[in-house]
Amino acid sequence: MNENQQKTTHFGYQTVAETDKASMVADVFHSVAAKYDVMNDLMSFGIHRLWKRQTIASSGVRKGHHVLDLAGGTGDLTAKFSQLVGETGQVVLGDINSSMLKVGREKLHNLGLVGNIDYVQMNAEALPFPDNSFDLITIAFGLRNVTDKDKALRSMYRILKPGGRLLVLEFSKPEHEVLSKAYDFYSFNLLPTMGKLVANDSESYKYLAESIRMHPDQDTLKAMMNEAGFEQTTYQNLTGGIVALHRGFKY
Amino acid sequence: MVTNFLVAMVERILNTSLKLDSTLSDKLAPIAHKHLLVEIRDWQQQFLLVFSGQQLHLYNTIENQYDCMISGDIDTLMALQNPAMLTQLIRQDKLDLQGDLNIAQGFSNAFAAIDIDWPEHFARYLGDAPAQQLWQSLKSAQKKGQTADKKLTATLSHLCQDELKVTIHPIELEQFKQHTRQLKGNVAQLEQRINRLRQNHSNQ
Repeated sequence: MNENQQKTTHFGYQTVAETDKASMVADVFHSVAAKYDVMNDLMSFGIHRLWKRQTIASSGVRKGHHVLDLAGGTGDLTAKFSQLVGETGQVVLGDINSSMLKVGREKLHNLGLVGNIDYVQMNAEALPFPDNSFDLITIAFGLRNVTDKDKALRSMYRILKPGGRLLVLEFSKPEHEVLSKAYDFYSFNLLPTMGKLVANDSESYKYLAESIRMHPDQDTLKAMMNEAGFEQTTYQNLTGGIVALHRGFKY
Repeated sequence: MVTNFLVAMVERILNTSLKLDSTLSDKLAPIAHKHLLVEIRDWQQQFLLVFSGQQLHLYNTIENQYDCMISGDIDTLMALQNPAMLTQLIRQDKLDLQGDLNIAQGFSNAFAAIDIDWPEHFARYLGDAPAQQLWQSLKSAQKKGQTADKKLTATLSHLCQDELKVTIHPIELEQFKQHTRQLKGNVAQLEQRINRLRQNHSNQ
């Protein structure tokens, strides 16, 4: 048995070879890219917009800043950052998935947002930028799909400028038992059905629910960020902990 | 999240005003990308307002990075609709301001001077003449509403003060205040006199 076969990771509730996860996640997002925005609004009842607003409010982004919107998908955060950094700033919309990048680029072009946005297909574990390049890195609903999260966090730390910050917006663990039960019922029963009806793809949305459960909870992720080198790491629970916004600085 | 939702609604209204009043962008241009932090003391909330050149961005934030920060009660901040009040409120210690005063004045002046040409916007859907007529009708309805409101307020005050005697008349209130002030003065004088007598008594 060679070394690659021994290294495994989770893909939802399944255990798969580490080398296979990226392509399996890619398949999920190729499949949902076209209906991604509609499904986000439907699944979260539009609340994902408020979660993203909170991320921008916590970003401290200014004119001239360089921002990396990792796993930026269809560019919701990039659209706002592009305006806030102005013509002297730069936003890089990065995603491992070409279909998502394509949808994002088309959407932002249609909004008239051009000039200070670059689109780069990249793997969060090996970010193709020099050290100390960005004032801000955000990764919204993307970290749980990354195979080696520690490696990705270290990579983000490397390319952040001293004084820069990382914001991780991700599904997390609800704070209250009752909310957790209701959320479980919604995720495992209603969500795949909605996926089937709207995007004709229940498997991808089953993966979404499972991957959320396998993602580290608030305190574990905070510890992982500290381990990667981030300082003053804090998190803020949103909607009862269904989502958490982690924030860490590089000094 | 509720605050976040309300802030998003306000941001939308501001951006709609920006679209409807074509001069607003020009007025805000000199303070583009400047961060104005507004602290509402009685709500214990901070809001960040930025004009990015295309849009206004409003966020509920705990960040403390700003070019200008104003802090005051909601009533004080509402008084800023009149830009001339800004320096007066600062002198009265009702408003704290840190950073570049021009940014607060820039936003205040721009919002105070919002002038939306409603007939022109209505005309896109209705045509010129009906839009003008609709606008005149709305203005006249607003005037009538204001007059009715004034009349209703006056009638209600009259009813409560003179007929039902539920509340007192402002003149009575003023008289009561005057009497209270006089009584307070008398009590203070009496207190002084008693203290003097006690002192004399203890000296003997």
